[in-house]
Amino acid sequence: MRTGHYKERWSQYVALSDNPTVWAWVAALLAALLIAPVVLDGYSTTLLVSALIAVVGAVGLNVLTGTTGLISLGQAGFLAVGAYTNGVLLVDHHWPVWATLPASGVVAAAVSLVVGIPSLRLKGLYLAITTLAFSFIINHVILYTESVTHGPNGIFVNGAKILGFDVQRGAPLYYLVLGVAVLSVLTALNLARTRIGRAWMAIRDHDVAARVMGIDLVRYKLLAFMVSSFIVGVAGALISLQIRFINIDVFALILSIEAIAFLILGGLGSIGGAILGAIFLSFLPEMIRLAFAMLGGSTASLLGNYLFEIRGMAYGVVIVVFLRWVPDGLIGLWRDIRTYWSNWPLAY
Amino acid sequence: MDFLLLLVSTGLVTGAAYGLIAMGFALVYKATGVVNFAQGELMMLTAYVSFSVADRTGLSFLMLMALTIPISMAIGLLLERIFIRPMLGEPVFSIVMVTIGLAVILRGLVILVWGPDPAVFDVGLPDTVIRLGPVPFYPAQLVLVAAMAGVTTIAWIFLRFSRIGIAMRAVAANETAARLSGISVSRIHAFAWMFSSAIASIAGVLFAANFKLAPDMWFQGMKSFPAVILGGLDSVIGASVAGLVIGVVENLFQGYVGQGMREISGFIVIVVVLMVRPYGLFGSREIERV
Repeated sequence: MRTGHYKERWSQYVALSDNPTVWAWVAALLAALLIAPVVLDGYSTTLLVSALIAVVGAVGLNVLTGTTGLISLGQAGFLAVGAYTNGVLLVDHHWPVWATLPASGVVAAAVSLVVGIPSLRLKGLYLAITTLAFSFIINHVILYTESVTHGPNGIFVNGAKILGFDVQRGAPLYYLVLGVAVLSVLTALNLARTRIGRAWMAIRDHDVAARVMGIDLVRYKLLAFMVSSFIVGVAGALISLQIRFINIDVFALILSIEAIAFLILGGLGSIGGAILGAIFLSFLPEMIRLAFAMLGGSTASLLGNYLFEIRGMAYGVVIVVFLRWVPDGLIGLWRDIRTYWSNWPLAY
Repeated sequence: MDFLLLLVSTGLVTGAAYGLIAMGFALVYKATGVVNFAQGELMMLTAYVSFSVADRTGLSFLMLMALTIPISMAIGLLLERIFIRPMLGEPVFSIVMVTIGLAVILRGLVILVWGPDPAVFDVGLPDTVIRLGPVPFYPAQLVLVAAMAGVTTIAWIFLRFSRIGIAMRAVAANETAARLSGISVSRIHAFAWMFSSAIASIAGVLFAANFKLAPDMWFQGMKSFPAVILGGLDSVIGASVAGLVIGVVENLFQGYVGQGMREISGFIVIVVVLMVRPYGLFGSREIERV
């Protein structure tokens, strides 16, 4: 048990971690992630890329839903905006990737203002319904502004190059995604320990009290919308790079539910939780596939026909089970285990 | 003029379906304070169950409904017991998320059990065209509108005069006071789910009879949201009226504004209503705005 643990300066108090062991583990994790594509085969690398993109999206949604407490069911809409911005700029306007990625975020953030300003005075269920409505409207706009977005034909996203590397496959894509993921996690972690992050949490915990303390609700809610959508937009751009063909069916409602499931599974309001949830759920379809393969025979073929449905049902089951039995999510489980371990043999 | 009349009349038919689904939403919200995102899926599930019953037995329409409604009430009760009851006392957000999880599970379940292909659901209604003035209708369309009118009337009488209906309103108004005067709140929640599931089954069967029985029927639940919001989340009667309005508005948008507007005009209505009058046309004004 660590005792006598005093914080004497503010900088110590807000430091990301005061524990050298944590830094050592983070360094080990980063090193492992860096050599992963060298060690792993192509298929596993692709899975890792999907998981890391999910991490970016989950961290983005967490800013809005976890930290600020504004529930959004419109994640799919912002992903679509990011993906289409990336696709259009890359293919039709021949922008380089290093410019299209931030541009996707900026456009998504701008769109989020359109969503955010009318929703400012709503919260809870009403906000969830509004964001849901907006994601349908965004999909519709994309489908019917054919001159810009190619409408129902979709876009073949290709020709993304950084320093001559094709960043749409294999190791270059992996490193690009890893870089973006690390950047967005760092951004979220650092925002959480500034005035902005504390203001967001105050709004989440009690908006009237936050207002009384002098937090400008309009400003900080809009800021949360913009930061969240920026990150989600970049995640959308990464999706378009990975899957190489985007149309509106990619960004169906199930994506928004999936994103909420990431947060619930990991533990709402925690960045670590968002990361854990995103990684765990990204590997879930793969785990289901392996489980069915072990059962073999007819069940495996059943899965082949209904993979999409079974995946959706698995998300549903995860949401229901975790809300019922593990409301603090994976990160809560981890905290319990850690406390138990460091207090052992005393009960905690 | 004929064009307008046609748009309005078909709009009323679609709107009747929206109204029925929206009443299910409003009933559950009124009694439990939870938006049941699985209402559309409940409608789809009960319609498929009814389809299987009709397929096995070949009953006439009225007998089929007489059998479908109790079965759906049992389904509603079962879902409430398994998914919602254990969450009693948790934050509303968690319960709403559970209904979203339930929705996704039901969606997958329907495809796993009944397959992904659309089916023709013959409910035993004739398909001779009936003319009301200049406008032709199919019997199924008229039955849908009549069912909505009937259910709305029954719901009004039920909420106004019956013991359970009054208890439901009491729970909606003040849960603690209702409990203190001897109302079993958890039983009222179960009743709300049973009745909303019964309404969902009527909506589901008639929607399938009018359009088709397909595993994307759940989307009608999403498209009924505008009606719930416009009517006011906690107003059952408001939901049914607003359903008709939304149905007509969608058709007029589609007819006069542009292709594809049908799909989103309702959602535009949501955004406008929530900005201007978030408690809807008939809802009670207690929504907190900060």
